[in-house]
Order: sequence, then C-alpha cells, then structure tokens
Amino acid sequence: MAHASVRTATIMGVDAVPVDVEIDVGPGLPSFAIVGLGDAAVQEARERVRSAVRASGFDVPNSRIVVNLAPAPLRKHGTGFDLPIAVGLLVATKQIAPHLADEVLAVGELSLDGRVRGVAGELAFAVSAAREGLKLLSPPLTGGAGAIEGLDVRPVKTLGQLKHGLPSASAWVTMTPEVEAGVDFGEVVGQELAVRALTVAAAGGHSMLMVGPPGSGKTMLARRLPTILPSLSATERLETALVHSVAGVDAAPALGGVRPFRAPHHSASIAGLIGGGSPPRPGEASLAHNGVLFLDEMPEFGPAALQCLRQPLEDGAVTVVRAEGRVTYPARFALIGSANPCPCGFLGDPVKPCSCPPSVVERYRARIGGPLMDRIDMVVEVQRPDPALLLEPSGSRCSEALREAVIEAQDRAVSRDGAVAAALSGRKLVEACAMNQQAQRVLETSARMHSLSGRGVTRLLRVARTLADLDGDDGVAAGHIAESLGYRVTGRT
Amino acid sequence: MLDHVPHFEIALGDAGYPALLAELEQPPQRLYGIGAPESLQPGLAVVGARRATPYGRTAARILAGWAAASGYVIVSGGALGCDQAAHQAALDRGGTTVAVMGCGADVCYPRRSVALFERIAANGAIISEQPWGTEPLPWMFRLRNRIIAGLCPVLLVLEAGLPSGTFGTAEYALQAGRTVAAVPGSIFAPECRGSNRLIATGAPPVTDTSELRLLLELEGVAAQADAPAASAIVEGEDAVERALLVNPMRPDDVAREFEMDIVTVARALGVLEATGRIRRYPDGRYGPG
Repeated sequence: MAHASVRTATIMGVDAVPVDVEIDVGPGLPSFAIVGLGDAAVQEARERVRSAVRASGFDVPNSRIVVNLAPAPLRKHGTGFDLPIAVGLLVATKQIAPHLADEVLAVGELSLDGRVRGVAGELAFAVSAAREGLKLLSPPLTGGAGAIEGLDVRPVKTLGQLKHGLPSASAWVTMTPEVEAGVDFGEVVGQELAVRALTVAAAGGHSMLMVGPPGSGKTMLARRLPTILPSLSATERLETALVHSVAGVDAAPALGGVRPFRAPHHSASIAGLIGGGSPPRPGEASLAHNGVLFLDEMPEFGPAALQCLRQPLEDGAVTVVRAEGRVTYPARFALIGSANPCPCGFLGDPVKPCSCPPSVVERYRARIGGPLMDRIDMVVEVQRPDPALLLEPSGSRCSEALREAVIEAQDRAVSRDGAVAAALSGRKLVEACAMNQQAQRVLETSARMHSLSGRGVTRLLRVARTLADLDGDDGVAAGHIAESLGYRVTGRT
Repeated sequence: MLDHVPHFEIALGDAGYPALLAELEQPPQRLYGIGAPESLQPGLAVVGARRATPYGRTAARILAGWAAASGYVIVSGGALGCDQAAHQAALDRGGTTVAVMGCGADVCYPRRSVALFERIAANGAIISEQPWGTEPLPWMFRLRNRIIAGLCPVLLVLEAGLPSGTFGTAEYALQAGRTVAAVPGSIFAPECRGSNRLIATGAPPVTDTSELRLLLELEGVAAQADAPAASAIVEGEDAVERALLVNPMRPDDVAREFEMDIVTVARALGVLEATGRIRRYPDGRYGPG
C-alpha cells in the first residue's frame, strides 16, 4: 500500500482553483483509474502518464492504481493533470524523493516521450501558487510575469529531470511592449474629424461608432487606435494577461503593456463574443479587457450576440452561467464599431447613388439595437477622402503626439475623478464638468433644439468632459459642449 | 417682476424719445420701460401670428437672427409664436431686442415666458405706453401694434392671418409711411393669407437674408455700431455658416476650405447646430436646416 498527494489546480474563469491529486497504488488486478469528475482529456492522462513515465526511465507498477481528484464534486478539465499524476505516482512508488511533492503546485501536460508541455492558463496557475505559498512546478513559462509577487517557479522540461530533485528557481524575463510595426496615424490621409474622434474616444474610454461607405477607411483607422493608447498599468497587465493565458492566447504582449485590440469577425457566436462553451472559455469581450473591442460591420453581427455586449459594457465583466456553475470573466473595454450607412453602403455618397429603399435602411440601422446604441457615446461619419488628397504631402500628425495628449488627458481625469469620463454619470458627472454659464446655456439650447433625453445629455457631457481634459481645462466650456454635439448619436435621443 | 432691472420713463418731447415714434398721428404720451432706454433705436420690427407654424418660427429665427447678429435692433410684441421666436433668435445671436407690451411693461404677459422677458430686459428693453402694473385687456394690444410699427422704418411680417392683429400692425405701418415687407407663405395656410395679401398688394417679399439686408440698406437703417461679440463662441463661425448655407459640406472639407483646425471647425459646427442655424444631414454633411 502506497499513497501520495500532489497539489495542482483547475481553471475556473480566470482563476486556478486548488485541486489535490491523491494516488493510491495497491494490490489488486493491474488497472489505472482516475475518479473525481475529470473530463475526457483528464481520462486520457492515463495513457500519456504511463508512456511518459516509462520513457523517462521509471517503472509503472503492475498494481491497482487509483487517482482521485479532490474536491470530487468540482468538474475538472484539461491536460494539466498529467504532471501532478505522474509526480504522485513516482512519489507513491518511491521512485523519486517524497519531499518533491511537498509545498509544490504541479501543472503540465506530458508528451509520450516524457517531455513536459505548457497548458493554457499558466499565469492563473502561477497566481494561484503564489497565493497559496507554493512553488510552481511547471514547464518554463513563456511570458514574463514579474508582476506576480512571491512567485517561486521551478521550471521542468522533462519528467526525467525529477530524478535529480526539484529544479532550481528560475528568473523572470521582463517583457518590453511591442506595437504592430509600421502602423501610425501619420499615414492616414484626410479624415481629420475621425482621427480627432478616435483621440477623444481613447482619452475618455468612450465607445464609438464609425459610419461610412465601404473603402472609406474605417477599419484602417481602428487598427491605428492602439498606437495612441497608453500602456497598461502593472495591475492591468496581469488582469489582461490572465484572461489571455486562460484562453490560450499569447499573453506576452499584454504582460509587456500593450493594450489588447480584438477584432472578431461578424460571424462570431455569442459564446465566441462574450465567452462560454464547455469548459467555459473567455470570449473576445474579455480578451479585449483593458483594451479595445473593434466590431467591424457591426450591423452584420447576430443581434443576439450584440445584445449580449450590454452586460460587459455596463458592469465591466461577463458572467457565464452553465449547468456546471457560473464563472465571471473581466471585460472592461472600449467598444469601437463600424457600420455602413445602409446595406449597399452608398447612402449619402456624393457620387454613387444608394440603391436601398428607405425601409431597408431603417431596418439595417435598427440591427444594432436601441439599448446597445444607448451605451455608445460617440458617432462619427467617415467619408472616402478625395483622391486628390492622396497626392498632397501628408500633415504633421503622428501617433506619438496624439498618444501623449491622450495620456495627459487620462491622467488629469483620473487624478480628479478617479476614472475616465466614460465611467461617470449622474451628479458626479455634472460636478466633474464644472460648466461655466455660457456652456450651460449652449447645453440647454442644444438639448431643447435636438430634444435630447437625459441619457443623451449624459453622453454629451461625458464627451465634453474628455474634450476639456484634452485641452487641459478644469471646467467644461461652451466650445467643448458644441464639439461634443457633433459626435452625438442622431436618430435616437 | 423684473425689479432688479432699471426702470425708466420717457415723455413725448424728452431727448430720449424715439424720433420715428413721434411722427405718428397719435404718439404715446409717455413710454414706461424696463432695461436700456438707449436700445430704442430705429431697427427692424418683426411680427407674426401667435399661433405660428414651424415655418413662421423658422423664418423668425433665421431672418431676425441674422438681423440681430448684423447689429439691428429687433422690435416685436413679446407674444407667443412668431414674436417670441424673433426675440429668442435675437438673444441667441447676442443681439439687442425690444419688446413692446400691450399691458404694463412690468407685467409679464404671457406669464410663462418670464424667463424670456428677463433676457429681453437684460439685452434690450421692454416698453409700454400703459402705466406700471396695468393688467392686459384686449384693446390695449391693438394700440400696442401702432408703437411697434412706429418704432421702426421697416416692418417684416412673418405670418399673418386675415383679419389679424399682425395684419393690423402692417396697416399701421403703411399709414405711417413705413416699409412693410413680408415672408411669402403657403397658399393653403390660413396663417399666411394676410402676409401673402401684403405681397399681392405690393409689399416686397423677403425670401432670404440678403434680400432683407438690401431692404434695410435701402431704407437707410443703421446697424448698431458693433456687431455683437457674445454669440461668437468660436471664431469664424459666421464665415462657416455663410459657406454652409450655400453649399453643404463635411467637417473635413470645411477645415480644408477655411484652412482651419479641425477642432475649431467641429466646435463652430456644434455651436451653429446647437442654435439651429445649420443642420447635420444623415451623410455627415452640414447645411441649411
């Protein structure tokens, strides 16, 4: 009779929940059973462990082997259990030193030849290990995670290494941010208003919709938005990297401080957009956490999928409820959408006539849906630039200067209100605006003139507050209200 | 009402008494006023129906607004509908406006327009020939109309039914030898029957601001020395407005055309749109509303 117990964890949401792997090697007909609600991948661990153990020069005893994953009622998934099961088996059969399994959180997938592979969510495991005060026994981490305090990682490349005891601690590599090279607002011809609007959206965290015919440069403009966003702060880096890691997306850029820019295709399902599936995985909305979610051709997205974005836009998080439980993923992002003015795309085009009947245009616009439009602070029309402009020398605009302005404005907003303007509402927003008399008059006149609703006024004020921050002004002036009016959502109030 | 604004009284023959008004057959013996007596200058009288249509109110906004911005004093009757639209337009453009009341100048009537009267008193004057505190009675308004007609060399009729008080004002003006111009209206609208009749009998039709300017210049009405600065929230907004009324453009095009910074353009457009001087089209262009 031989027992061993090894600590590991399983991913729930963006968290790694501790799991104990208990191994019992005892008399009976030779068998290898894994109990404790493991999914198919966990069951397959038997074959991988058996081969890897043999290939690494250890023996698999001809006994009855039972593996229990505790707590038993918790569903467990993934291939990360391979390493802890193998370690437990080796400790139980005294093939490696028993202290190896003490104070260790082991996670990793085994290949048949005994090599250890990484699994999705390595950062979540690292955070969990640091929290529990355990050493992390896992394959070398691909991303630098110096931000995780108190983490002691012991990289293991092959199972055979364990013959010589626990590997020594490894140092973290610090990551440097890398932004898509060769992309800059300096290359954008014309589109002054759209660039201005994107700068404002970046500074205030505002959601924005760009409307314009095909080929007017909506996608091209959106791709350049990350170049003017400030780097992620230390906490944001970890938050975002965790989601990426759990989703199996390269977390290195987020750890390096690059704000995520996610542009899902319009065929995305609800689960793909906001998360879900079995086991639940974070969706694009969460992958865009602390960054930008760009929905190209927004009306082409499934209406149900679009409406699901309301929760994250409101709460900054997505809660996915499934039979096996509920998981919450962070999802605080700036929504940038693009849309054609009508299905054919040429409504209002100075040259090409639109071929859509008015009822079709109306239906097309309604696809985004009122409640979602209510959460969009700004709308800007994008037009195809005059071909003659393409030949003119480009202006002096560049992403670097815009980015500095954005950072300055954000710092001002955060030090005053504790948040960017897009997060303010009600009394707090009005107080933050500190409007002078002229500004109040312009606001009243415009609200009357365009019969703005309370929500409409709120959005107007949010954008105006950001405009004032970009100007470095303490109070919102009439000019800010006026400019903000140009970005308002028309058609709805 | 309006106790915090200076009150004044001018008798016929006083130095400050409006010269044009004195030419009437029955000039008011005494004017009771609130606000600035020096705003009683020859200007543009703008009158129209109380039950105004959106057409009439828009005409008031554009024409009176332009005239006020150009420095002309806008004189009207303070009544609901066209009159108030004209006062409002003048105030929104930072101009000077005079309301001639049927009741006592310190009696706000209609009462719900107190806020507007406050603004008029602060940016012009409210006057009446009725003593302080006189409550309104129907006959007073007909008498009041002759003062509106008498104060200005040019009377612009926006919408007038037939018969109507507005049409009566036009008759007073013609009797006093003033120029009466009218905004043409729909042939189907009863609100426009009077104004169209005026045109049929020889009143010059006013269809845009340039015609109005011509008319005022022909009559030799002087614009108040300085065009108001208060309305110019953003520099260049008037130039932008003039260009857009002729040729609707997108903000980017405006910026290029005027060699202005996009932020200034966006703000100018916002101010113009906020005050209803231009409109944003569904395709992103801005132009006349």
